[in-house]
Amino acid sequence: MQERPAGPAGGGFRLPAALRGAAPGLLAVILLFLIWEAVCRLFGIREFLLPTPSAIFSASIAAWPLLLWHAWATFLTVLWGFFASVAISLPLAMLIASSPAVSAAIYPLLVITQSIPKVALAPILIIALGANELPRIIVTFLVAFFPLVVGTVAGLLATPPELIELGRACRAGRMQELLRIRLPFAIPFVFGGLKVAAALAVVGAVVAEFVGADAGLGYLIQTSMAFFRTPLAFAAVVALAIMGILMFQAVSLTERLLFPWSSGAEPPAPGI
Amino acid sequence: MIRLERVGKTFPGREGGVEALREVSLRVAPGEFVAIVGASGCGKSTLLRLVAGLVPPSAGRVLLDSVPVEGPRAETAMVFQAPTLLPWADVLRNVTFPLRLMKRAGPATEDRARGLLATAGLSGFEHRLPRELSGGMQQRVAICRALLQEPRVLLMDEPFGALDALTREEMSLELLRIWQGRQMAVLFVTHSIPEAVLLADRVVVMSPRPGRVADIIEVGLPRPRGFEQEGSDTFQHCARRIRALIYGDRLSRAA
Repeated sequence: MQERPAGPAGGGFRLPAALRGAAPGLLAVILLFLIWEAVCRLFGIREFLLPTPSAIFSASIAAWPLLLWHAWATFLTVLWGFFASVAISLPLAMLIASSPAVSAAIYPLLVITQSIPKVALAPILIIALGANELPRIIVTFLVAFFPLVVGTVAGLLATPPELIELGRACRAGRMQELLRIRLPFAIPFVFGGLKVAAALAVVGAVVAEFVGADAGLGYLIQTSMAFFRTPLAFAAVVALAIMGILMFQAVSLTERLLFPWSSGAEPPAPGI
Repeated sequence: MIRLERVGKTFPGREGGVEALREVSLRVAPGEFVAIVGASGCGKSTLLRLVAGLVPPSAGRVLLDSVPVEGPRAETAMVFQAPTLLPWADVLRNVTFPLRLMKRAGPATEDRARGLLATAGLSGFEHRLPRELSGGMQQRVAICRALLQEPRVLLMDEPFGALDALTREEMSLELLRIWQGRQMAVLFVTHSIPEAVLLADRVVVMSPRPGRVADIIEVGLPRPRGFEQEGSDTFQHCARRIRALIYGDRLSRAA
């Protein structure tokens, strides 16, 4: 592994420092929940309109196997959609970065896919592809892939011209230039895109589940609300938030483990 | 070893393009140290890129060992103004990168790289990342990277231009020390007149728009060179002549 000089907050001070960094955020969340709880009780807001945090919590506990089962279904859609985004975005970005003509041909198409509301597209896809996992994965992909393409293209094109010239002086071919110089250079940009894509994949999966699904947190929210079981719907929302955070953190962790030179250049992520 | 015969270079653009070089003729002998000075826009860097085979000439011929240069060749290595190191690779992997890219890396490559880094005062930094090094150290890595290719022609495009004055002087002497031990011609582009005189056997003075060779000054200072020679008459004489060629009558009118 790389040797890295210890920063001023190195050694035994690291943990307290990290906690101190997370403390204001944590405190704000707790305070928000307390106010929420107080307002609900004080004004006697009915549970199906706005449940108290404690009611949401007890609903989560009471229905945890159900919650977990639906979360798992959503998680699979998120993962497949995310991996589809990666598998399609990276080669697509390389294609776009390879020539201005290709870029001019593909970019308008990409912008069109981004201008179409995915909620509008979802029912059409479900009719066309059947009520299975595939249309949900496609919707997730459509929501998530764009920032990844844009980020990767930006990275590939941001390679300093001197570095390209160095490659040419070493008689590197176009493929070598792409794989040995441009692509590694783009890694921090790719991970920037991956982080956004990870969070958006959760959004995409829920959008798809709203339209056509028989499982998943999006489905759970809809069915719960149909029966005014608002605390359970809120519990599903909390589960989605946790899933989004975990996805984001998983991408950050991967970057730190595999490409320490890339993540080290950025300011540390705020503690969540 | 290097021969430029009435070389011209015009970059395409609006209204007939930009003429960077016109009728440049120059010979560099094996092992010779030649500096190129001139105001900005006189095509110094273009000249270097022509010899490197990175750009083709529009007119005339560029010959290396009597063979026209048609693309980058194994005999030449280049050092740029910026260190242009790979941010993801440690120092050792940066130095060996060109050889690995050209599939010329052998079992001894890594040891030779370590040896070179040691002569450049970079022992113990083999596994540091570029961003952990100072600007001067990064440029040393870039020079080691070029030297590891064992070029017979080293092309340097203002290699010390981005360094502070003190680091610059230190690096100049180091470069001379490294050059002395090898049969390697150096083409060294700079905009510092004292640097050119200190380093080179001959100084090519170029005039701008389009770039032409104004004159070639022989520097008759004995080697090994050092800063104590800066006070000598020969040094001052060379520097004055170069300055006069670059500024021309502008300076003489002011005097």
